Amino acid sequence: MNADGKGMLLVGDNPFHGISHLSQEKARNRGMERSSAASADIVAAAMRSGADGFMFSVSDVTLPILKSLRERREVDQIKLYAIVPYAYEYVRIATQTGTPGLAKKIVKQIALSGDIGAVLGGIGAVFRMNRESLLKTYLAYEISRIKSSIWSKAELSSVLLHEVITDMSLALNFDWLFKSYISYLSKKEIIPGFNTRNFPFLVRKFKEWGLNMDELLVATQFNKAGFQMNPSREACEETLSNLSRPIVLAISVLAAGYFRPPEAAEYIATQEKLRGIVIGASSVEQAQETFGIFSSALSCRK
Amino acid sequence: MTENKIRVGVVGLGKMGLLHASLLNVFPEVELVALCEKSALTSRLFKKVFSGSEVHVVDDIAKFHGLDLDAIYVTTPISSHSSIIKQIYANHLARHVFTEKTLALSYNQSRELCDIVEKEGGVNMVGYMKRFSMVFGKARDILQTRELGELLGFKAYAYSSDFLGATKKSKSSASRGGALSDLGCHIIDLALWIFGRFKVRDVLSVARNGAGSETSVSFTAVNSNGLSGQFDISQSMADYRMPEFGLLAECAAGRIDVNDDRLCLTLRDGTLRKWYRHDLADCVDFSIGDPEYHRENSEFVHSVLNDRQCELSFENAAVVDYVIGEVRKRSGVQ
Repeated sequence: MNADGKGMLLVGDNPFHGISHLSQEKARNRGMERSSAASADIVAAAMRSGADGFMFSVSDVTLPILKSLRERREVDQIKLYAIVPYAYEYVRIATQTGTPGLAKKIVKQIALSGDIGAVLGGIGAVFRMNRESLLKTYLAYEISRIKSSIWSKAELSSVLLHEVITDMSLALNFDWLFKSYISYLSKKEIIPGFNTRNFPFLVRKFKEWGLNMDELLVATQFNKAGFQMNPSREACEETLSNLSRPIVLAISVLAAGYFRPPEAAEYIATQEKLRGIVIGASSVEQAQETFGIFSSALSCRK
Repeated sequence: MTENKIRVGVVGLGKMGLLHASLLNVFPEVELVALCEKSALTSRLFKKVFSGSEVHVVDDIAKFHGLDLDAIYVTTPISSHSSIIKQIYANHLARHVFTEKTLALSYNQSRELCDIVEKEGGVNMVGYMKRFSMVFGKARDILQTRELGELLGFKAYAYSSDFLGATKKSKSSASRGGALSDLGCHIIDLALWIFGRFKVRDVLSVARNGAGSETSVSFTAVNSNGLSGQFDISQSMADYRMPEFGLLAECAAGRIDVNDDRLCLTLRDGTLRKWYRHDLADCVDFSIGDPEYHRENSEFVHSVLNDRQCELSFENAAVVDYVIGEVRKRSGVQ
């Protein structure tokens, strides 16, 4: 919940990356080329229309958007929800250079980042091949990238683990990864978050591992079509209703444009345990219309 | 097999190896026993990552010996598929084999593997996961009911931006088998599955990178009934953030236009019907990447458990390698 008790409303970055989960055709048609200033206009318009913050994958596309917002001082206070890693770019590098090539690229990026703590931590972690230290080094690197792009009143509220890493780690029973991740971010007073396409499975595993979910954030699909809600919409809704605290941010609420905002908002209003929603917009006009509708829907929830 | 659980090993810990290992580990009927990665650094890293678990991480497939594996997944680069699969059967490392596409680097290698599995038995499968897409499956169902009348012709495409802007010196496309083996194989397999077998007629154009590997290919094909089709395959298309595969089938009473995301059916009277993934019950028990991967693994696992051959057997997948070989032969590349 946000300060006035209504659900949180965040701007998503999918349109800025040229992503449409409804169809790639649609994403191409609406155009991939958009300046960071034009994207910042959309974020600013959404903030003026009731959004509380911005959820973004940490990438060369989104960091300039933050810089653009900072330079214009148009948005003063904004809560930031960062997703790491930007899996698309890493998969693309792995496709072009293989896994060892990807590892070398990440090491090089960290080495060139100028973040002394991350560099030293990284050298030690690689030398000892310590999995927890490697994870912390990587997170330190990503956090330093974000912080170098933001301004004093902008708050890095949460860092969320990308769904591919979250879901693979759940499947492979990497409880150590979740524990280290939560512990590291909590110490930095950043809410540990997880993006997943397997929400009921995540909750089951966290309970099995004895992880307290109350202070975490989970971003997962919630929409009327049950799109990407695995294993089913009913199972996801039931898991949500059984949570003791509202920790879930709904993503894909428009099912990637399958629903018009009023229809999607009607469904969201029935999910009272949602902490908030994340929604993307492709233009300033769309941001004003969409965020206006969802702002009302979240206020009207039972 | 222990307590009706299949004991599985995975060779190759690139993105596909990790994806399959993860998905398999969620199946209650599967026990992930061992992983193999020959790169010393990666192997050492994964030993640490998996420490505390019961999964063995080894750097040589020979070390799978004695682990009593029922099935092995081969997810290494295409160039190594043939030698690894031969090693699995020669040393009886497992009875059942799943390999990522393509089956082998050439049709000759594929035939050799088909001969081996015919002798050795067991379940064998190649990972053409697009067959497990709900939209492509729906398109095939519609065409098979013949409600659109006689099939008159088709077009097929596979586009990605994977190597757009890659340097001319890059050998990565070649190591992945070039555009035909890396990307085009999926659409060739889908066309074979939906339209039946065909022969390559003409190669219209080929573009290659500095390493001599094809990055774009266009060719025509024809089947024994005279049905003709055209294929366009490119790994250097602008604005294809994710690889995209599509088919356009012209029929006497209408047309079908299908890609990874949606299916459009247009009747001659102008009636249009459209299905998105959303409309086709696309959820699975556990999803990473696309739900197709879960269904693909489910098909293999249940084929092993029920001792039945998969439709996507080595024998059927070898046909894709045959088509790729024919295109290369006609374009002067072997």
